[in-house]
Amino acid sequence: MKLIAKGAEACIYSLSAFGKEFVLKRRERKDYRVPELDLRLRAERTRSEARTMLRLHAIGVRVPGLIALGKFSICMEKLEGMLLKDTQKTGGIFTEVGKALALMHDNGTVHGDLTPANVMICNSLPYLIDFGLSSFTNGAEDKAMDLLLMKRAVSSRLYKSLEEAYLTNSRTGKEVILRLADVEKRGRYQNRNLE
Amino acid sequence: MLVLGLESSAHTFGAGISDGGKILANEKAMYKIGATGMIPAEVAETHVENAEGVISAALEKAGILPSDLEGICYTAGPGMGPCLQVAQIAARALASKLKIRIVGVNHCVAHAEITREMGRLSDPIMLYVSGGNSQILALSERPFRHYSVIGETFDIGVGNMLDNFARAANLFPAWGSSVEKASAGGRYLELPYTVKGMDFSFTGLLTRATELTGKVPVNDLSYSVQETAFSELCEATERAILLKGKKEIGVCGGVAQNSRLRQMLQSMASEQGIRFGFAPNEYNADNGGMIAFAGERLLSEGISWKLGECRISQRYRVDSAYVPGG
Repeated sequence: MKLIAKGAEACIYSLSAFGKEFVLKRRERKDYRVPELDLRLRAERTRSEARTMLRLHAIGVRVPGLIALGKFSICMEKLEGMLLKDTQKTGGIFTEVGKALALMHDNGTVHGDLTPANVMICNSLPYLIDFGLSSFTNGAEDKAMDLLLMKRAVSSRLYKSLEEAYLTNSRTGKEVILRLADVEKRGRYQNRNLE
Repeated sequence: MLVLGLESSAHTFGAGISDGGKILANEKAMYKIGATGMIPAEVAETHVENAEGVISAALEKAGILPSDLEGICYTAGPGMGPCLQVAQIAARALASKLKIRIVGVNHCVAHAEITREMGRLSDPIMLYVSGGNSQILALSERPFRHYSVIGETFDIGVGNMLDNFARAANLFPAWGSSVEKASAGGRYLELPYTVKGMDFSFTGLLTRATELTGKVPVNDLSYSVQETAFSELCEATERAILLKGKKEIGVCGGVAQNSRLRQMLQSMASEQGIRFGFAPNEYNADNGGMIAFAGERLLSEGISWKLGECRISQRYRVDSAYVPGG
């Protein structure tokens, strides 16, 4: 197993088995919190992430395939590609992200941390990754937050491509975009730039 | 430059004197919080009674006369309106009498700046935790130098949550340090934990903890409230550190006095291999010294307000305030 990335709550390893490459995401222990809370959070989030990956796979949203599930770790298919944040961003890609997001939201799932660091480009198609903060909900507020994060992170031209595709493809798109305008009016988000 | 700073945004009336970034005096008087919490008009009345004495004590401590002062500053917000007015009026009266320059200071910027100075931090992720505020801040240079808000509470400040819990659990005095004392020897009980990215929430936790008072031992509950709330703050802060690629963490504001919170942040900083810093407790609680310190920097850059334009704002956002230096 080789460590390939270290995030705030998990380590990503690459491993090979049966002549194939896989990715293992393991939620690591945090010494700052008490063991009871630490175990609970890591187990809950691992389970919830796996559930989201399975559901999205079933409805046809591009995500890495789930291979095996442990208490604190998920073994998944290895995608050959680059993160959206490190590649040439095009309107076409953002249109595809908008479509995927519409499909996901219409099926009652929100990502919770949708930024260019959590989209992988593989054969010119976007795959959504990292569902550690995802949840099953039909709330317009949570869906609007998915859009807001992306809006803050990319140019307005690219975001426009995403929003147009989202509106065309989502049944509740209009309601979500209206709520987004509401959320943005709140003082706390006016100066927020997440780059 | 000899500068007097006045603070009265919440329960403390403070007067501090700064000269070339050195704090020569930092005097304060506090409103005693009883069973009803803080009633703004009553707190303001107490500030009016204390103002003269506290200011005189600060001048005496610094060994200067009012006529030696070269500038004056006051907390312009955020805070409770009637309370903010007391320092503002006192500052305006003094500036008018002494014919010296005056400027309003953002309370959150003052907390963060004094901590950056005394905690020997240059460009940290700053966790600002007090009664009314809980925010994760980082310095940003554009469009002007300011603290941008990376993460924030969705509802109430962590200090407010601890105070409310203390009242519900009959801890006295009803504030955070009583919860810290009561948490000794406690065992962990499961409580609601809410973090979304770099934002967090405390009302669900407060509601559940309040429901449980009287049904489970108070030290178990106090311990669990602290552990849950501080874990939320640490998780969001750690995410901010990685997102922004910063090499330092600071903590400031009233709740920064809590030793368990500091211990957890220290543990997280060590794991990340980065530096953790904070100011002495005297500067984490509300105080005039930090207002003098931050105000002196503004005045030294030639920034001051006309007497007639000296405003206060209950909702003075930290990210709308210019931070001097750079």
